[in-house]
Amino acid sequence: MTWPSSIQQIIDEFQEIEDQFERLEVLMDFADEVDELPFDEWSDSNLVRGCQSVAHIEVNIRESMVWIRAAADARMVQGLQGILSIAVNGNSPETVMQLTPNFAEEAGILVSLTPSRSNGFRTMFDMIQNRIKEEIL
Amino acid sequence: MKEDFPIFQRLVNGKKLVYLDNAATTQKPSCVIDAMSNYYSSSNANVHRAVHTLAGEATEGYEACRKILKQRYNADYAVMTSGTTEGINLAARAWGEYNLQSGDAVVLTEMEHHSDIVPWQMLAERIAIELRFVPVENGALDMEALEVALVGAKLVCVVHTSNVLGVRNSVEQIIAKSKDAGARILIDGAQAVPHELIDFKELGADFLAFSAHKMCGPTGIGALLISADAFAEMKPFMGGGDMIETVTLEGSTYQSNEHKFEAGTPRIAEGVGWAAALEWISNVDLESHHERLLAIARNVSQNLTEKGMTVYSSLNPGDAAVVSFTHPTIHPEDFARLLDAQGIAVRTGHHCAQPLMEKLGVNGTIRASFYIYNDESDADALLSGIDRVLEAMA
Repeated sequence: MTWPSSIQQIIDEFQEIEDQFERLEVLMDFADEVDELPFDEWSDSNLVRGCQSVAHIEVNIRESMVWIRAAADARMVQGLQGILSIAVNGNSPETVMQLTPNFAEEAGILVSLTPSRSNGFRTMFDMIQNRIKEEIL
Repeated sequence: MKEDFPIFQRLVNGKKLVYLDNAATTQKPSCVIDAMSNYYSSSNANVHRAVHTLAGEATEGYEACRKILKQRYNADYAVMTSGTTEGINLAARAWGEYNLQSGDAVVLTEMEHHSDIVPWQMLAERIAIELRFVPVENGALDMEALEVALVGAKLVCVVHTSNVLGVRNSVEQIIAKSKDAGARILIDGAQAVPHELIDFKELGADFLAFSAHKMCGPTGIGALLISADAFAEMKPFMGGGDMIETVTLEGSTYQSNEHKFEAGTPRIAEGVGWAAALEWISNVDLESHHERLLAIARNVSQNLTEKGMTVYSSLNPGDAAVVSFTHPTIHPEDFARLLDAQGIAVRTGHHCAQPLMEKLGVNGTIRASFYIYNDESDADALLSGIDRVLEAMA
């Protein structure tokens, strides 16, 4: 599949790393890409269910562009949120709706994680697309 | 000893396996794997009633496990279960339902694994028994609170050795006090039986539940040892083949021995495998390994404390070699994942003991648990692995 260049860069970066520890370090570095959702805005509606750590993600559509803010108590989950931020932020709702979470598998990010965390990634991805559907509809 | 365990020949994430998740399950020596494989290759049949050769061999192999259990742990009755959880559920169903009435008190502790809480909560829903929980203070059971809870109690259920902290409770004292109070006693021995040779009759409990897989045996099989007095008070809770004496359309009569609690085809290959594990472990000096592992765990604990971590295990004499800890800022899952990337297997989370976690004021811990095949090199690898995690997360 052809991915947007920002996502392809992520895939390439992960695919170059052979050492599992280094791969996780790189994943955690992506935490810096997150626009943080402040604690007082954490709520049931933005809670990521199915994730063992505490994670929240909020989706906003402004001027026909999608933006997410997120937070988590675990650095690797923050890293996943950072990758989602790169994939989503500033793109049109239509572009985001065409994405699939499969790029994370292609990059080998999810195999590095526990099943609950890889499920959490897919859940966050679904939350973003569901929110867009709600807005558009 | 690791040469007896084929799994230690493999690499995990390109690194030598350092297995420190033994409180969850232990690895299996070749003799166990071979026994199960040989059973399926050469003796597979259903047990008990058939007269053909294979059925005879299968029955002999499976019943040998029960015989070894009764001899090794000095018990009159050993009901084969799927593990500790089923053993406790069996006691709740087959003893609890017939010997407890609405309003009767059952004493539990805050240190219990969920498998020794939930079956009693379910029984309380059915027959409205009262559950009294002995609190944990500073990582140990509050013995004064136990005395209060025991007044009028009909049953006491206590974990022998905590799966979270490794704490060995004063079970001998608890059993004596419970007996004085006229209560029956169930001991969750999941973490204890693998670490010390228990004489069930001398211990004086009525029920002792444990699992094969935590002592180098197969998963899916365990035992509930039962005193003669308690056994006489129990009735079958699950009906079917193998547990009956006669069946007519008007009604059935049941076997008088342990089989009455073992309806259906049992876990035959697992029984054969466990028998092999029990024979193998009978040649292991558990006591000296226990002392050795406790010393290793204490060293790890001290190192972790020096590195700024909170260690919840006391590692007192008699405790299991379990080091449960947290880091002030690193999430336990991140920690464990980074260790796994270095081939080091530890466990994280609430360890099926959420009430205890709440008492400790944490959502979860990282737990390194040692068993007889672990040595100093595993502890060294863990500490080096932790150093690398701390460096990466600094």
